[in-house]
Amino acid sequence: MRQPLRLRLVLRDLSTAAAFASMAISSQVPVWTLVLFALALIVALTGRRPLARAPRLTALLLLPVAGVLYLAVAAGQMDLVVAACSFAGIVAAQRLLSESSSATDGQVLLVGLLMIAGGAALSGDLVFALCLLAFAVLASLSLGLAVVEAAVPPGEPVPVRAVMRPLARGTILAVVGAVLFFILIPRLNWNMGVHRATPGLGTATSGFSDTVRLGGSGTLKSNPRVVLRARLTPDPVRTEQLSAYWVGRTYDTFDGQEWSTIGAAKQRHRTRVTLRPGADKQVYQRIELLPAYGSRTLIALETPAKLGNALMHTPTGDRRTRLQELGGDELRFVDDGLGYSYEVYSLPPGTDTDPGRMNQTEADQLLALPENLDPRVEQLARQVVGDEKDPLAAAQKLSTWMQREYQYTLELSGDLADPLVDFLFVRKAGHCEHFATALTLMLRTLGFESRLATGFFGGERVGEEYIVRAGDAHAWTHVLVPGRGFITVDSTPPAFRANQSLQVLQSLISFYEAIEGIWRTSVVDYSFRDQLDFMRGLSRPPRESSSGEQRPSGPPAGAWWTAGLVALGVYGLVRYLSRRPRRSPLGEATRLVDAVERQLTRAGLPPQEGETLEDVAARFTRDAHPLGPTLAPLTRRYLEARFGQRPLESGERARMLEDLRRALDTWRQGSRSNAP
Amino acid sequence: MNSPARATPALSSPAAARSALEQVAANLSLAVRGKEKEVRLAVTCVAAGGHLLLEDVPGVGKTTLVEAIARSFSLSLSRVQFTADLMPADILGAQIFHAATASFSFRPGPIFRQLVLADELNRAPPRTQSALLEAMAQGQVSLDGVTHPLPRPFTVVATQNPVDFSGTYPLPDSQLDRFLMRLSLGHPAPEVEARLLVLARDAATAGAVVEPVSSPEALNGLRAQVAAQRLDDTVADYVVRLAHATRSHGDIERGASTRAVLALGMAARAHALWEARDFVTPGDVRAVLGPCLAHRLLLRSANQGTYTRDEALHLIEEIARKVPAPR
Repeated sequence: MRQPLRLRLVLRDLSTAAAFASMAISSQVPVWTLVLFALALIVALTGRRPLARAPRLTALLLLPVAGVLYLAVAAGQMDLVVAACSFAGIVAAQRLLSESSSATDGQVLLVGLLMIAGGAALSGDLVFALCLLAFAVLASLSLGLAVVEAAVPPGEPVPVRAVMRPLARGTILAVVGAVLFFILIPRLNWNMGVHRATPGLGTATSGFSDTVRLGGSGTLKSNPRVVLRARLTPDPVRTEQLSAYWVGRTYDTFDGQEWSTIGAAKQRHRTRVTLRPGADKQVYQRIELLPAYGSRTLIALETPAKLGNALMHTPTGDRRTRLQELGGDELRFVDDGLGYSYEVYSLPPGTDTDPGRMNQTEADQLLALPENLDPRVEQLARQVVGDEKDPLAAAQKLSTWMQREYQYTLELSGDLADPLVDFLFVRKAGHCEHFATALTLMLRTLGFESRLATGFFGGERVGEEYIVRAGDAHAWTHVLVPGRGFITVDSTPPAFRANQSLQVLQSLISFYEAIEGIWRTSVVDYSFRDQLDFMRGLSRPPRESSSGEQRPSGPPAGAWWTAGLVALGVYGLVRYLSRRPRRSPLGEATRLVDAVERQLTRAGLPPQEGETLEDVAARFTRDAHPLGPTLAPLTRRYLEARFGQRPLESGERARMLEDLRRALDTWRQGSRSNAP
Repeated sequence: MNSPARATPALSSPAAARSALEQVAANLSLAVRGKEKEVRLAVTCVAAGGHLLLEDVPGVGKTTLVEAIARSFSLSLSRVQFTADLMPADILGAQIFHAATASFSFRPGPIFRQLVLADELNRAPPRTQSALLEAMAQGQVSLDGVTHPLPRPFTVVATQNPVDFSGTYPLPDSQLDRFLMRLSLGHPAPEVEARLLVLARDAATAGAVVEPVSSPEALNGLRAQVAAQRLDDTVADYVVRLAHATRSHGDIERGASTRAVLALGMAARAHALWEARDFVTPGDVRAVLGPCLAHRLLLRSANQGTYTRDEALHLIEEIARKVPAPR
C-alpha cells in the first residue's frame, strides 16, 4: 500500500477538529472528552497513528466508554445529547489515530458530520457557523483530494496544485449553492432550542429579579452588551447621547436589606396596557429587547402611558405575546422568548402625570420605613433639608448634597447587616442602588412619599436607533409631588449613571452583537414565514416610507433584481442543457442493446472487454456461431436505429428481444444435448 | 490530356456500391491471393478517395495489387520508380521548346494518370518527394505559374521497404499525413504460396490476369456516395475522442492531427459501404482505425530508437479498447 497524501490527512484531521469545535463552543461537552480529543488531534497532526497496530482492540475499548456514558445518562448525570456528542468525539479521536484507509477516512468524515449535528443541537450560535463552514470546506477539499489520489496510478505524484484550484472553486460554488438552498427551499422548523447554550456572549446578565438587594455584585456596570434597541418618534435626530431614564419597575418596600413590592400580580393577560392617561405630547417608541437582556420585564422611556403590540422572537419565528401587570407598575411578557419587540407611548419628562392606579395599602407603603431603621438617618435628613415643605425641593436638596458628599464606587464590602448605615456613615461610597435607596428612605423619614425605580439610564445613537447596554442598568428615586405625579430625582453623581465600560470594548461588542443579531434572525431563526416574506419582498413594492419621499415610478428595485437573477438562471440552464450531449431520442435503441447484452451474458456469452454488440455479431458470423443468423439482423436494425436515423417502431424492440430469447433457448437446448 | 468530368457523378445506392466493391475485391483476390482483409482495406481506401501507402518487403505483391486495382477500375496507370537521382520534372512533366513553332508546350509527366504507383518513394530525395505533395493534396500541379488539373479520379499508391533503410530519405510527417492509410501485405500463407507455384505465373503478368469490372466513372460515383454517407453526431464525437486519446496518451509524443480525424471519418464512411449501409457505425471507425492512424503517430519510443512497427498498432488497439463507443 502506498503512502497516503499528507496534505489530505491534515485537511481531514482539521475538518474533524472544526466539527468537534462546533460542539465544544457550547461548553457543555465534558472536559475529559475535550482533553482526549485535543491530544488525539495533536498526535494525528504530527503524522503518527499509534492505534494502527491494534485497530480492533482499541475499537472494542469504545464499548465500555459507551456503556459508561449510557449509565451516566440513565442515572441522570448527563444529558442524552451531550452524551452522544461526547461519544462521537471519542470515536473521532480513535479513528484519527488509526491506520489511514479509505474506510477510515469515510468514517472520520461521517463522525465529523455527526458532531456538526451535535453542535447544531448544543449551540447553534455564530461561532458554530464558522465551525460549520470550516468543516464543510476542509472536508470537501480532503474528499476531493482522496478521489484524485485514488485515480493517480501508484508511484506517480498527485497533482495537488492542479487539483486544489478547481476543488476550491467547486467548494465555493457548493457553499453558495448551500446558502441559496437554505434561503429558498421551504423548511420545517423543529424546536431544537432545548439544549442550546445561551446565545451570544454567555448568560444574559441584566435580568430583572423581583427584588433589589443592596450589596450585590458590581460587575454589571462594566458590561457593554446591548440589551435594548429603540426607535423613537419624534426622532431627536441630533442627540448622540439620549441620557434618558428607561424604567423597568418600581419598588415600595424596604426591609433594611432588600427592596420589594407589595402590589399583587393581576391575573388578566392583555395585549395592550394603559398605565395612565396620555397627553398631547407623547414619545412613541418601537423597542426591541435582545437575547442578552434575559428578562421578561418591559422597559420604556419615562413615563410610560400605553404599551402593547408585543411580538416574541422564538426559534420558530415571531409570535404575538400578551402582557401581564404586576405590582410596582411592572409589565411582563406572558411567554418566554429569545427576544421581544413592542410599542410604547411615553409622556416626556416635565409633563404632569397621573400617579397611576394605587389602592390605599399601596399608597400608604410610599411612606413605610424598615422596622429597625437607624435614627441617625432621619437626623441626617433633617439636617440637610431643614424645614423645606416642598417634596421636590427637599429631594433636590438631598440629591445635590449626596452627590457632593458621597463617592461612587463599584467595589463592595460584601453582605452587611445594615448596608444603608454602612453607606451613609461608614464608607460614604456606593453605587446607584445605595444612592437611590438612601434618598428614598431619607425622604420618607421626612414624610415625603417616594419609591425606588430601576431600569436603565442612557441611550446611545447608532444609525437611526438608540441602544442601551447591560451596563446602563440603573436605580433612582420617584418622588410623589401632589398634582404633578411621580417625579424622577437621581442622587447618583451624573458621571456614573450610564455604563462604565471601555470605549473600544463597547464598539467591538456592538459589532459582534450586530453580526450575532443577523446570524440569529436570518439563519438560526430563519423560518418558513421569513422565506415567504423574502419571496414577497422580491415581488412586491416596498411599503410607503413614512418620510414621504417621492417613490420612483416603475417596478421596485427588488423586482428588477429578481427578474435579472431569474433571467441569469434560465440562461445558465439553457447553456447547460444545450452543451450537454443531447439525450438521444433513440434511447429505445440503446435500451435494446442493453437488453441484448444482458440476455447474452445470462446465456453465458458475455461480450469481451471493449466489445460492442456490432463486434459480437461480427464475431458470431465469422465463427459461424448458431446464434449468428439471429444476432446479425438484430444488430443491423439496432445500428440503423442508433446511427442511421431509422428509429425502432413501437413493439419492435420487444419482438426482437423475444426472437433472441427463443434463439438462445434453442441454442442452450442444442448445446446441452450435444454435451454428453 | 483528358479533361476531367466536372459534373457531379451519379450517386450509387449503398447496395449497388457494396456489390461494386465486392466485385472489385473478388477480382483483386485473383491477383493477390490470401489477403482478403488487406485487399478490402485497399479498396476502401481507393473508394474513400484517399492515397495509399504500402509498406512491405519486396516480392509480396505490392505492385501486383496496384496493377490489379488499375485494371479493375479501368484506370490509367503510371509507375514511377523512385531513385536517388529522380527529379521533380521526371514526375510532373516539363515545358518543351518546339523549334518549329518557336513556342513552349507542356509535356505532362507520369503523374497525369488516374493511378500513380510511386515505387520505393523513400529512395527519392525530399525535393522530389514533396513534388507529390501538391498533387496529392489539391489534385493539381503547378508548374511555372500555370496550374494543371490532374485527372479524376486521381490516386497515388506509394510503396516503401520497411526494413532496408540504407540510402533512403524517410518520409516527412507532412507527407505521411497525406496518405489515408498505410497497409502491409506481408508474406502469403504457405498454402497460398504453393498455389502460386502451381499456377506458375510470372509475377509481372499477375496483375494482368484480372478483367476490368468497373470504370473510373463508377469510382467517382462511389466516392460521391462515400461523401454522402451519414455520420451521426455521437459517432463523430467518438472519432474525436479517439483522436484526442492519442494526443493525451503517455507513450505518444504527437497524436493524430485534424487531418487524421477527417481521414478517419472518410475511411469509416467508405467502410460502411461494405455492409451496404448509408451511415457510419462505431465498428466502421474501429475497422479503419489502425491503418488510418498508425503511420501518423510519433511515439516516444521512436525518439529513444526502440520503436517497432507494431507498437503504434498496439497502442491504437489499446486506445480503441479504452475509449467507450457510443451505444
